[in-house]
Amino acid sequence: MVILTTTLSVLLMILTPVAAAILLRRYFAVRWWLFLVGAATFVGSQLYHLPLNDWLTDLGWIGPVAADAPHLLRTAAILGLSAGICESVARALGYGLLFRFGRAQQREDGLMVGLGHGGIEAMLVGGVLTAATVSSLWALRGVDLQTLNLLPEQLAAVQRQMSLFEGSPLTIFFAFGERLIALTLHVFLSVLVWRAFAERQPLYFLAALFYHSFFDATAVYVAQFLEIWQAELLFLLLALPALGLLIRWWPDRPLRRLQPLRAEIALFWLALGKELRQQWQTKRLLVVTAVFLLFGLASPLVAYFTPQIIGSMEEAAMFADLIPEPSNRDAIAQYVGNITQFGFILALLLGMGAVAGEKERGLTPMILSKPMPRWAFLLSKFAAQTLVYLLGFTLSGLAVYYYTYLLFEPLTFGPFMLGNYLLFTWLLTFAAVTLLGSALARTTGAAAGIALAGSVFIFLGGSLPNYGPLFPSGLIGWASQLGLETAVAPNAGAFTFSLVLILLSLIAAVAVFEVEEL
Amino acid sequence: MFDSLLLDAEVAIRCRNLSRRYGPVEALKPLDLDVASGSIFGFLGRNGAGKTTTMRLLTGLAQPTSGTAWIAGTQVTEGNGAARAQFGYLPQEPAFYKWMTPRDYLHYVAAMFFLPAAQRKRRVEEMLELVGLQEASRRRIGGFSGGMKQRLGIAQALIHEPPVLLLDEPTSALDPAGRYEILQLIDGLRGRVTVFFSSHILGDVERVCDTIGIIHEGELLTVAARDELLADYATNILLLEVARDCLPLPERFTAALEAQPWLAGLTLDDNHLRLAVHDTAVARQAILPLVVAHDIILTRYEWVRPSLEEIFLSIST
Repeated sequence: MVILTTTLSVLLMILTPVAAAILLRRYFAVRWWLFLVGAATFVGSQLYHLPLNDWLTDLGWIGPVAADAPHLLRTAAILGLSAGICESVARALGYGLLFRFGRAQQREDGLMVGLGHGGIEAMLVGGVLTAATVSSLWALRGVDLQTLNLLPEQLAAVQRQMSLFEGSPLTIFFAFGERLIALTLHVFLSVLVWRAFAERQPLYFLAALFYHSFFDATAVYVAQFLEIWQAELLFLLLALPALGLLIRWWPDRPLRRLQPLRAEIALFWLALGKELRQQWQTKRLLVVTAVFLLFGLASPLVAYFTPQIIGSMEEAAMFADLIPEPSNRDAIAQYVGNITQFGFILALLLGMGAVAGEKERGLTPMILSKPMPRWAFLLSKFAAQTLVYLLGFTLSGLAVYYYTYLLFEPLTFGPFMLGNYLLFTWLLTFAAVTLLGSALARTTGAAAGIALAGSVFIFLGGSLPNYGPLFPSGLIGWASQLGLETAVAPNAGAFTFSLVLILLSLIAAVAVFEVEEL
Repeated sequence: MFDSLLLDAEVAIRCRNLSRRYGPVEALKPLDLDVASGSIFGFLGRNGAGKTTTMRLLTGLAQPTSGTAWIAGTQVTEGNGAARAQFGYLPQEPAFYKWMTPRDYLHYVAAMFFLPAAQRKRRVEEMLELVGLQEASRRRIGGFSGGMKQRLGIAQALIHEPPVLLLDEPTSALDPAGRYEILQLIDGLRGRVTVFFSSHILGDVERVCDTIGIIHEGELLTVAARDELLADYATNILLLEVARDCLPLPERFTAALEAQPWLAGLTLDDNHLRLAVHDTAVARQAILPLVVAHDIILTRYEWVRPSLEEIFLSIST
């Protein structure tokens, strides 16, 4: 039950800002890239906000956050002020650039930037960290916490989280409620800073800074003393003025006339049908499934026969005794290694020309001068690739399972296939990044370059201290353990972050493509 | 509702203050243009004059820097996909999915306009017949010639029976036979569809268009009915065919001609002297005495219709 409610809550945290942005886009024709600007202001602010907090902690100005901690009020005030200053400054920098180039003249532009800022926070701080925390707590079930070698305050925090985790499974929805409140607040703060620029009135900026600081400081302080529902109720009360002013300042321009959403969705299905036929007619479907099936069949065989092959080689005969008896673990390791390596190459090769190739050949003006929406054109390509890879992974997974069953100890089918689909999610991250490259570039070669650069960035992210395990590469470690008769350390944070990366890549691709001149 | 109030029923395409700037370059200067319903409008200009930019703005493939455009009463510059049902568009170099057959492609395009299945089937057959691709309808487009692709391009643009057809240089990449086929096809649409036809090939425009707009360096210079445009200039060109014995022409004769206040321009091609004239009445009085005075013998004297090329060159230079 707790998995179900956590999944639902995390999905809501990720999808709510996107759904709100879709509505805003449809009603006021606001550009998607303003959502990305808002997201960039949040991420950018954290680049100096987090080191600032670390420095203030080293100075002793920020102390422990607990009900009985000394100087809690001072700590809460400083934490609130640092968040208010850092994020308001980032917002101001973002609007400064936008106003300089005349790109945020309407009120709805401010709303979209706010949705991006609050949205990415809901996705990362809400979705990813919630998933990662629940995942860690899941692994601690039945473990004696005293044996974990934690500091007393760490132990207290973990115990408190465990008591929440083991309480009502619905408690997790408080986290979603809190994100909704935070999202409303961020949209309002962004609108305030937008007004500071639009009306050349710095008082709006100061109001945003102090409201943000006051809200965050109060949240840090009262959360130590109140029950979770009491704290959330207080946050709601604090956010009410923001909500009221947002409604009062709602754009009064006439709503834009677009073709009905139902028609646009019907066009998406039409485009998806065409993409799937294209995958079939151009033999891509055949190639992808054949490659996946080949690696599915070959991996357990290679694992099984490697010692014999090495043993049969005269030059390597001395190593034969050193090679341990192969097991199903080796079969999985072989499979994961092969599928991630060649799957990545396939995703790059098949995805790089998806849009750029059609631009190069002059196909896009033929289709996009018709009622086909650009988002449908773009996302149908991703959906078709997703379905092809899904088929490939299913076939390869079944092949690995069957041959491992024949040659080694059988794997546990359900968990193994779950791990297989985690690898599928890992691959989709790169497929989405490649689609973004393809939407950005005008030639297939340039698309490949951008996709490769983005992929390298994601690979390198996996090596970051603290945050590295949350990157998609964290899925590979998790997937490699599933299906084996050993304890598994789940990494739902990496799964959620992969979903966020896919979503952001697709949003960025649509944002770029919808303003591109064809 | 608002758009239909803005547009007269007789106007198929309306542009108001429509412009596009790329950095310092004004690809299209503010354009005000009305194209009458049912006309075949030739949008004439040299390469880079702004014809394709105008087409891309009308089709929503580019965003205007300023201004608005309507096609058949619907605003097309605000990114509303549904507005694109008001026109069919054929880009300069139509491209297709090579793995598709023409029949597949036309079905795909018809479905984009939500034509019901029975109507879709009927329209696909009608269009294949109209453009003469019935026999090739089950072949892959990948093996088609340029002319066949152009014809398929017209079929896909007409599949949903749009009131307006936008054709961007539809003949420029074709051989003479292909050009002839396409011009015949366009001519056959007269009265049924408004055709907005951009080209730099003057002969093609002169042949099929009933109204002509001339654009130069992003600026619309003139719009007129073809016959009016030709008539306006018809009396202004005097062709003198000089006897070969008199060649080369004496310099004092050409100097005397150039000194005449009624002369706008003079070209000599072999023994044909073409005089562009400001004031035909004065020129009629003065020219023959001038010829006689310089002992020039004429084998032909004729006031001629200028070609569209001459009109175009005189307007755009």
